[in-house]
Amino acid sequence: MEDLGVIHQLIVPLFGYEMTFNLEVIAWTWIVIIGLLIFGYLAKRNRSIVPGNLQNLGELFINQFYELTEDALDRRLARKYAPLICALFMFLLFCNFLGVFPHLGEPTSDLNTTLSMGIMGFVIAHYVGIREKGIKAYIKGYFEPIFFMMPLNVIGELSKVISISFRLFGNIMGGDIIVLVVSYLTFSLILPPFLIGFFFIFIGAIQAFVFTMLTLVYIAVQVK
Amino acid sequence: MGLGAIGAALGEGYTAGLANEGLALRPKKSGDILKNMLVGQAVAESAAIFALVIAVLLLFLGTETPYLLKASAVLAAGLSMGFGAFGSGVGAGFPAGQASLGISRQPAMSGSLSTNMLIGSAVCQTPAILAMVVALLLIFSDFSSMPLFPTWAALLGAGLSTGLAAIGSGVGGGLAAGASCEGIARQPLSLGNVTTTMLVGQAVSQTPAIFGLLISFILLFSGFPESTALSAAMAPLGAGLCMGFGGIGPGIGNGLTAEEAVRWVARNLENTGGLTRTMLVGQAVAQSTAIYAMVVSLVLIFVI
Repeated sequence: MEDLGVIHQLIVPLFGYEMTFNLEVIAWTWIVIIGLLIFGYLAKRNRSIVPGNLQNLGELFINQFYELTEDALDRRLARKYAPLICALFMFLLFCNFLGVFPHLGEPTSDLNTTLSMGIMGFVIAHYVGIREKGIKAYIKGYFEPIFFMMPLNVIGELSKVISISFRLFGNIMGGDIIVLVVSYLTFSLILPPFLIGFFFIFIGAIQAFVFTMLTLVYIAVQVK
Repeated sequence: MGLGAIGAALGEGYTAGLANEGLALRPKKSGDILKNMLVGQAVAESAAIFALVIAVLLLFLGTETPYLLKASAVLAAGLSMGFGAFGSGVGAGFPAGQASLGISRQPAMSGSLSTNMLIGSAVCQTPAILAMVVALLLIFSDFSSMPLFPTWAALLGAGLSTGLAAIGSGVGGGLAAGASCEGIARQPLSLGNVTTTMLVGQAVSQTPAIFGLLISFILLFSGFPESTALSAAMAPLGAGLCMGFGGIGPGIGNGLTAEEAVRWVARNLENTGGLTRTMLVGQAVAQSTAIYAMVVSLVLIFVI
C-alpha cells in the first residue's frame, strides 16, 4: 500500500523556478505515441481494396469518427477536424489500455495529461469559434442572454475544462486505486483480473469516447 | 454503507418491478428478461459493494492509530462513500429496469439492449467511483502532521462534498441511461445516436460530482494553518456542505434534461444534432447553480 500516491519526479531548477517532470508518465506517454505511430505505419503499409486486419481496424476508427464529426459539425468543418477527433480518441484509448500491462500505468491517471488535453480542446474550440463566427459575434455570445451574465458565462466556459479533465482523471485514477486496494485485500487472488477488465478496458474505452465526444460537442457549440 | 445499501436496494426494487411488468407482457421471454434483470441488478449492486469494501476497510484498518484526526477522516470516508453509493445505486436501477421492460417489448434487440444498459449503468457508477477515491484517500493518507483544529473540519467537508454531490449525478445519469434503453426498445434503428447522446448527457450531468471532487481535493491537500477559532473550522466544513448540497439539484436536473433529449432522439432521429445542442445549452444553464456553489465554496476556503 505504500506506493499509493508515490510519483517519481525529476525537478529541474530553471531561472529560479522549479520545473517538475513526472518521469514515469512521460515514458508511458512516449510508449503510447510510438505504439500509435507503429500502428499507423503498419495499417497503411499494404493498402488494398480488400483491407487486411490492421487496415480494417484503422478504417473502422476513421469511418466512425468521421461520421460522428460530420453529424456534429458540417461537411466542410468535418474534413478539417475529423483527423483531430479521431487522433484524440485513439491516443486516449491506447493511454487507458496501457494500464493492463504489468509495470505500466495509464498516462491519463496523471492530472497533467488530462488537463493538457482539456486545455487543448478548449483552445481549439474557441479558435474555431472565432474563425467561423468572427470575433464580434464570438464576444457577443458572452453577453447573451443579458449583458450581466458575462462573468457567469466566462466561468461556465472555464468550468468545462475542469469538468472534462477531472472526469477522465477521476475515473482512471479511481480504477487504479480500487484495483490496488482490492488486490491488497484479496492477496491478488481471483478478483483483480476481472476488476482490471472492467476498469481499464471497459471504463477506459467509455471514458475515452466520452472525452472525445465532449471535445467535439464543445467545438460544435462554439461554431453554431 | 447503510446509505449505499438503501440506494442499491431502491434501484434493484425498481428493476425487479419493471422486469415483472415485462414478464407479464411477454411470458415466453422470461429467461432472457430474468437474465438481463440479474445482470442489471449486479451492476446496480456494485455501488453497494464499493460501500462494503470501504466499510470492511474501516473496520479492519481504522483502529490502528486512534487519534482524533483519524476518527474524523474515517467518519468522512464513510459518509462520502455512503452518500456516493446511494445515488449510483438508484441511478443504475433505471437502465436495468428499462432494459428488462424493453426486452419484453422488442425481444430481437435484447443483445444491444443489454450492452447499452451495461454502458449506461457503468457510467452511472462514475460518481460512486469518485466518492470511493475520496474515501480511500481519506483512509490511507497520513494527516498526523497536520494541525488538528481546522483540519478535522476540512476532512469532514471533503467527504461530504463529493458524497452529497454524487447523489444527484448518480440519479441524473441513471435517468438518461433509462431513457436510452427505453428509446432503443422503441426504435431499434436509433441505437448509435441514442447511445452517443446518452453518453454526452450523462457526462454533463456528472459535472457537479466532479466539482465536488475538486473541492474535496482542495480541502484534503491545501493544508490549513492552525487556528482554534470557530470560523476557521466552519469555513471548510461549510465549503464541503455547500458544494455537496449545491451539486444534488443540478445533477438530477441535468439528468432530466438528458433523459428527455435521449427519449426524443429515439423518436426523431433526424434532429439528433439540434437536440444535442439544445440539451447542452439547457444543461449549461442548469449547471450554473452548481458553479455558484463551487464559487462560494472556493471563497469559503481561500478568503476566510
